[in-house]
Amino acid sequence: MIRRGAVHGAALILVLIWTVPVLGLVITSFRDRAQILETGWWQIAAENRAVRAMRLDPGRGDLLVPGERLIGWGIAARAPAAFPPGAVADLPRGQLTVDAQGHYRLDVPGPPTRVFVTVASRPQLTLANYRQVLGDPGVWAALGHTLVVTIPAVVLPVLLAAFAAYALVFLPVPGRAVLIAVIVGLLAVPLQLTLIPVLRIYTALGIGHSYIGIWLAHTAFGLPVAIWLLRNAMQAVPHASIAAARIDGAAEFTIFRRIALPLSLPAIAALSIFQFLWVWNDLLLATVFLGSTPDRQVLTGLLRDLLGSHGGAWQVLTASAVVSIIVPVVVFFGLQRALIRGLMAGTAED
Amino acid sequence: MAPDGERVTRMQQGLGLIGAVLAIMVASGVTGTAAAQGLIFPPDVDARFHWQDYQTLQGQDLRGQRLTILGTWLGQDKALFDSVIAYFEAATGADVVYEGSSSFEQQIVIRTQAGAPPDLAIVPQPGLAADLARQGFLRPLAPDLGGWLLENYAAGDSWRRIGTYRDPQGTERLYAFPYKAEIKSLVWYVPENLAEAGYPVPETYQDLRALTERIVADGGTPWCIALGSGGATGWPATDWVEDLMLRLNTPADYDDWVAHEIRFQDPRVLAAIEAFGWFATSDSFVDGGRAAVAGTDFRDSAQGLFTAPPRCYLLHQASFIASFFPAGTELGRDADFFYFPTRAQAGPDRPVLGAGTLFVKLTDNPASDAFIRFLTLPLAHEIWMAQTGFATPHKGVNPQVYATPTQRKLGEILRDATVFRFDGSDLMPGAIGAGAFWRGMVDYVGGQSAAQVARQIDSRWDDLQAPQ
Amino acid sequence: MSGGALTAVIGPIAAVVLVCVMWFRGTGWLLDRVGSGLRPWVFLGPSVVMLVLWLLYPALATVWASVHDADGRGWLGARNYHWVFTDPLARQALCNTVVWAIVVPTTATLIGLFAARITDRLNWGGMARAMMFLPMAISFVGAGVIWKFVYEYRPEDQAQIGLLNALLQVPRPWLMLPGWNTLCLMVVLIWAQAGFATVILSAALRRVPPPVIQAATLDGAGDWARFRRIEVPHISGAISVVWTTLFIVSLKTFDIVFVMTGGQWGTQVLSALVYDLMFRGSADFGRAAAVAVVLMALVVPVMIRTIRIAGQEGR
Repeated sequence: MIRRGAVHGAALILVLIWTVPVLGLVITSFRDRAQILETGWWQIAAENRAVRAMRLDPGRGDLLVPGERLIGWGIAARAPAAFPPGAVADLPRGQLTVDAQGHYRLDVPGPPTRVFVTVASRPQLTLANYRQVLGDPGVWAALGHTLVVTIPAVVLPVLLAAFAAYALVFLPVPGRAVLIAVIVGLLAVPLQLTLIPVLRIYTALGIGHSYIGIWLAHTAFGLPVAIWLLRNAMQAVPHASIAAARIDGAAEFTIFRRIALPLSLPAIAALSIFQFLWVWNDLLLATVFLGSTPDRQVLTGLLRDLLGSHGGAWQVLTASAVVSIIVPVVVFFGLQRALIRGLMAGTAED
Repeated sequence: MAPDGERVTRMQQGLGLIGAVLAIMVASGVTGTAAAQGLIFPPDVDARFHWQDYQTLQGQDLRGQRLTILGTWLGQDKALFDSVIAYFEAATGADVVYEGSSSFEQQIVIRTQAGAPPDLAIVPQPGLAADLARQGFLRPLAPDLGGWLLENYAAGDSWRRIGTYRDPQGTERLYAFPYKAEIKSLVWYVPENLAEAGYPVPETYQDLRALTERIVADGGTPWCIALGSGGATGWPATDWVEDLMLRLNTPADYDDWVAHEIRFQDPRVLAAIEAFGWFATSDSFVDGGRAAVAGTDFRDSAQGLFTAPPRCYLLHQASFIASFFPAGTELGRDADFFYFPTRAQAGPDRPVLGAGTLFVKLTDNPASDAFIRFLTLPLAHEIWMAQTGFATPHKGVNPQVYATPTQRKLGEILRDATVFRFDGSDLMPGAIGAGAFWRGMVDYVGGQSAAQVARQIDSRWDDLQAPQ
Repeated sequence: MSGGALTAVIGPIAAVVLVCVMWFRGTGWLLDRVGSGLRPWVFLGPSVVMLVLWLLYPALATVWASVHDADGRGWLGARNYHWVFTDPLARQALCNTVVWAIVVPTTATLIGLFAARITDRLNWGGMARAMMFLPMAISFVGAGVIWKFVYEYRPEDQAQIGLLNALLQVPRPWLMLPGWNTLCLMVVLIWAQAGFATVILSAALRRVPPPVIQAATLDGAGDWARFRRIEVPHISGAISVVWTTLFIVSLKTFDIVFVMTGGQWGTQVLSALVYDLMFRGSADFGRAAAVAVVLMALVVPVMIRTIRIAGQEGR
């Protein structure tokens, strides 16, 4: 029993380590910028203490907003809580009184007087960050553009890789081992170096800033991984059944379609998720091959745009990060069963 | 398996469908062009603007012409620039597409190298524009624009020189038209906090140092200095050193320094670095102490002015930092700036350190020339001035158009500058100005000596391969 | 979304899907009409063409550029390579990249193995693995923000907003401490990739035939001995696939370093150095290419191993 408890405990600790940073992101996305910089996100449940500068006109009024408790107040920036609630401050030209409920009376004529209040308030969450992100008029169009980029950029490489993997496993390809090694080598080509030569080809062909260009780019750059994964999956397909089908005189394409493909479907599902995640989160290829004009800007580009020219809007950054992971997470959970089975097939050793 | 005949029929159906879908694609692409946007200030209504410029502009017919512009402005800046473009489009009928990118330096290199440049680019670093000119990717601007800049932009010859580079043959030509400037020589403060403590706004560099010491003596912390900026950490320190270079030495020394004719190890440069060190490396002079300087994000450190008790009284930052002040901050009342003062013995010269964006031409599209001409008109400046975050050295604009007194004050600093010098780190080669210099300043704040970091920066610079 | 916008989205997607269906069918049609010698190329041809144009050609162009000067005009021979191996910053990037390529795949694989083993026995194990897989769905820009709120440093007298410094009480600027900072950055990649290892290895573990495990249990082997001597060797193929994939991912690490430190304070890695040399003003394509070729050369041992294994599989 102790052992089982230890296993549960160890698993729980691992899961916590992996999800706590994400939790921080989600909580931060509901806070405003001042709060984010003032206290850690894990203190969201603690009472929030803040010093506020206000300008008061002569007369009576209220310093607090509902839900706040007055801790102290003052009339100088260097001593912002010099006076307790209920005290009276003597100013050069009059008096200021503040009671425990935050009601004040100011007898100083002329321009507004600067007053500091230290208040404790219950934690506050805001939807403003999400309103800013989702309220952007371009966000739905950008979502549409991302879908136009993503779906073909997943379907195309998966189809190509399935064909290629089948040939590499079941057909007599001359120089097969070298070909496979070259594909592994191409996995390591740094993407930055391919951009200029590829864009040069596109410009010559007239597909510089177009969906066709980005589909082909994602397809080509995704191919090495895709072939690598599907080749492993197809190796798990029993060779005996393929041989039997050949003896029965089945056409090559029939063997591919009726035997190899169905047996590697889980791996294909897994690959589709990887490719989907990659294309969905991409900003670099979209900027280079599609451009970021409003008529085809993708979601990642729009979210980057919201941060402005100098960045630093952490509250918008967190909210947009949450928005941009929702769809991949939904897709992931939806296909989880297929994914786990697919990865299983992908790594089978025989 | 289906018999062949049936397969062919299905194939035909499929092809038909593809055709239909392709037709839809084409149609949606054609109808996708945006309708002409409304103009933010209706022409001829507000008499402060130079509306005659709009009529001048209408004299040109560019209908059916398309102009693409690539730049770094995003978010609000992009919306503001689009509002300026709208006047050009409405008057001339041209179709201008502005594209903002967060990775502009990468995009411009890729697109020029791949032979797919935009018609115009808005380059924030003269060093990068000079590189593009040397490689033959830029088209020279009309020759008369050089004289125009000399006459109509402030600070003498400063702006024309910023836009002049060598072509591939080594001849100097005007390649870049400056539009929109940023001022770096500013010290931000909260007026009421200084007044409350009885501190005067310093008039000279000596006053500034005296004020710093006085605040420390009173138990306060004078400065917020933060160099953090993610992958670009260190750049705020380069602004400090550049401003001090201009105050401790002559503008000519500054020019020689950014051209590496004066080395970082030169006593004049070391003096500027050490003058920065005087402010930044004493624990009691900076918020959080010396250890916090390099690690704190510059955008977050601006908050220190506004806390109570104040974490600091002074902040040396460019004009754009105001966008990181707490929400609701009213410039001029809640926060203000003074010009980073010169030495008492320096006389009336007011050197201004700043940055700006430069329009360069990458194609022979005639609409590009028309657009650059548009930028010489006061109206093109006034549209943005009347909104937010814009300052211009153009002497012909009506300063009354500036939306706030603070912006007008910034505009006046630019207009009254006798010497304007561009941010040196943007003029140096990228490996220095956006690399070794940043790193060196972070190391310096971290405890290395000025001589040590200067030697490292110089050796990086020597190591760069000289362009052929 | 208006009807027109909807058409603009569905139209292109449907068109491509239709093209794919036609392609699929067309391949079958073509296969019946070519000789058996050509058949592999009907399957393989399109992929090979794309790999050659989009990846192999740029890779070869890189090799060409690496022996030329900054603008790609003058011949330099091995001078750029000499620079890579003698320049202190480039050498540092090379060393860091080697450290990344060893530490990250190994740690992530070990964590994955451990997590796979323990979650395998739990009724909520599927959920646990899914939670560990979650970081894979987050873009690197998102991950950068997430970890800002872990590593963020504030002076001791201020409230910490970085989790790590809040837990440790004595705040330190982690991303600026040489050595520690590279470790901190590697943790981010391990965090992002360990779920991948967990899910794959957990699936592989479940394929170990029960009789094998039962036999070991009868021999009196304890849990640990059984895991080490029976299960791990049995899934060595899967372990190798995981390690290799993560090895290449680590080798190409760019975004994490670029976003979080920009390669400062001794955290530079090769692919971020390539970016710096190409795009941070005063571009030097020759040196960038030489760095990239060194980066690609690091994968050669893995390629050789692949050739050996694939050769053995030959039927």
